[in-house]
Amino acid sequence: MLTINNLHARVEDTPILKGLNLQIGPGEVHAIMGPNGSGKSTLASVLAGREDYEVTAGSVDFDGIDLLDLGASERAREGLFLAFQYPVEIPGVSNLNFMKAAVNAKREHQGLEPIAAKDFLAMVKEKAALVELDGRLRDRSVNEGFSGGEKKRNEIFQMAMLEPKLAILDETDSGLDIDALRIVSEGVNAMRDAGRSFLVITHYQRLLDHIVPDFVHVLSEGQIVKSGPKELALELEAKGYDWIKEPVA
Amino acid sequence: MAATNDIATRQAQNFVAGLAGATPLGLSSLSDEGRAALAELPVPTRRSERWKYSPVTAMLASPVSSAPAPKSWPESVPANPVPGLDAYRVVLVNGHVVPEACDLPVADGVMCMPLSQAVKEGRIAPGDEDWTGYHKREWVGAVNAAHAQDGLFLSLESGTSLDRPVLVHHHVTGADVASCPRHRVCLGDNARAEVVLWSSASNQASGMVNAVLEARVGAGARLGLDKVQHEHGSIFHLAHEHVTQGKASTFRIHTLTVQGHWVRNELSVLQHGSGAHTVMHGAYLPKGSEHVDNHTTMDHTVPYCTSSELYKGILYDRSTGVFNGKVFVRQDAQQTNAYQQNANIVADAGASINAKPELEIYADDVKCSHGCTVGQFDDEALFYLKSRGIGDRAARALMVQAFIGDVLEGMGSSEVADEVASLLAERHGWM
Ligand SMILES: Nc1ncnc2c1ncn2[C@@H]1O[C@H](COP(=O)(O)OP(=O)(O)O)[C@@H](O)[C@H]1O
Ligand SMILES: [Mg+2]
Repeated sequence: MLTINNLHARVEDTPILKGLNLQIGPGEVHAIMGPNGSGKSTLASVLAGREDYEVTAGSVDFDGIDLLDLGASERAREGLFLAFQYPVEIPGVSNLNFMKAAVNAKREHQGLEPIAAKDFLAMVKEKAALVELDGRLRDRSVNEGFSGGEKKRNEIFQMAMLEPKLAILDETDSGLDIDALRIVSEGVNAMRDAGRSFLVITHYQRLLDHIVPDFVHVLSEGQIVKSGPKELALELEAKGYDWIKEPVA
Repeated sequence: MAATNDIATRQAQNFVAGLAGATPLGLSSLSDEGRAALAELPVPTRRSERWKYSPVTAMLASPVSSAPAPKSWPESVPANPVPGLDAYRVVLVNGHVVPEACDLPVADGVMCMPLSQAVKEGRIAPGDEDWTGYHKREWVGAVNAAHAQDGLFLSLESGTSLDRPVLVHHHVTGADVASCPRHRVCLGDNARAEVVLWSSASNQASGMVNAVLEARVGAGARLGLDKVQHEHGSIFHLAHEHVTQGKASTFRIHTLTVQGHWVRNELSVLQHGSGAHTVMHGAYLPKGSEHVDNHTTMDHTVPYCTSSELYKGILYDRSTGVFNGKVFVRQDAQQTNAYQQNANIVADAGASINAKPELEIYADDVKCSHGCTVGQFDDEALFYLKSRGIGDRAARALMVQAFIGDVLEGMGSSEVADEVASLLAERHGWM
């Protein structure tokens, strides 16, 4: 599904990703953990196509496509989704118009007609129920006046609407109380299937109690320095990151 | 300095000479006063504070002349430019009313006719030809006073209201044409009317449109104006609306500049009676090398009045914009609630806006707020939209529509708002 090979990226003159390798197969859930500032969000942004980051070396293959060759909107239409660590408020753009534009952009890319109003509303209803996003929030401007938890639920709602092949969740658990964490995790779990992969970026083990990963990776100073089974997350929680700061040869 | 002034003055004299052939409207003392003022008043150049960013020098460089009255309304131009709008019509070409293409209301207490007809019928008393003295203060006002051609005359008796809006459509065709439309609206107490002021011009049109609208809104009356500027060609468009409001009256205007080579809108509202409410909203989206200037004056003179002013601009390419919003709260105007907001997005590096709120408050127990912002498109928001598969163009369109949405929403006619939205979408490739 996703093969990252020797990825280097920088912001302005500061190198942040320094030779990152990662492989995610179809249907797999991978977790990336790592200290603050290690480059987790940078990786997510580079994959999603944010223009502030310059890729200086390496390649990313996404289901047979050269991902780095595409703009952000094309990547999304190909089935990549990023749940933002800090979802953006967009006053005046209604959540529903936003989602309709997004759904139709994807459909156009697939050679389909724009979705019928009735079908769209049915879809909204179904997907919103998944994350208990009530009608009031659906109708408002994108993320405007949403609480932290509501914003994160809105991210998962959008993910459910767009049914991506690969979803990257960047610290979706931050700012969530235990109930919201459960709701969000159940939303994600409901979408797990053999054809859909997840890259779950998190700081804490607790999310991984709910979304159980197939693999755990540790990112430090722009590289994956350790990979292992889900138990690695527990070990990190107990021991911290210091014991594995050095890259493995 | 003096030399420049001489050149401007000489150019102005030549420019005005081309207007001498205008059909006199018949408001003779106004016309005489206008001519006299032209000889006295300074031409608006960069040196005048009010015209610093919109000198008329470029306009004066090309001579213009008044066009003869057309035989008929041009076939290629819809007299009603707004699909689905059910409205009475007063239509003008190059400053002349075209009677065959008009559709006037006939109802008790309602007088709606070309201004020239109202003059002929003696409906304007000799001492009452003008309500504002604009021609004594401003050279451009004197040009209109001296050379006014025709326009809307709308007068509603107390308690009457129009069942449909009146559409006033002014169209310019031909090169180097001078048009001086003049409109007059008077609403008696508790009367109600909606007017749509639409300006259009053909692709080859050039010259000057110098339009004046004077309105009086009686006690408890309501007047709404949807003003849309959609001029192709290269017109210098000078507009001046002056509105006086009585007790507990409401006046609303939405000024939408969809397209125009060079536009200066002067809007001045005077609240005379307590409890009056004013809404002045507007949006401008110039591109290429277009210029749009909105100069507004809100004058609170009596207690318990409110005003809400909201202007939004998006400036593309090398376009230039000006916003100047004066708000006076006079000493007697206690309990005034005045709100002013001007928000701008400078979309391209070559574009610019000069924005200036000017509040003068002489009463102590008032609530006044104002804000003025100049920014770029929010890159974070753009990336967010794109990360969901929405293309760059569509993402920008969503953001623009959101930005000007609250201006369009409040317009009197949803048909006009929809047409403005679709003209903008077409013009900026948002479809
Ligand atoms: N837009 C940016 N401009 C400058 N520095 C940045 C930018 N984005 C990230 N960085 C820097 O890159 C490093 C990695 O940041 P980030 O990817 O956000 O880490 P994480 O998500 O793992 O906490 C940090 O040192 C951060 O300060
Ligand atoms: Mg981060």
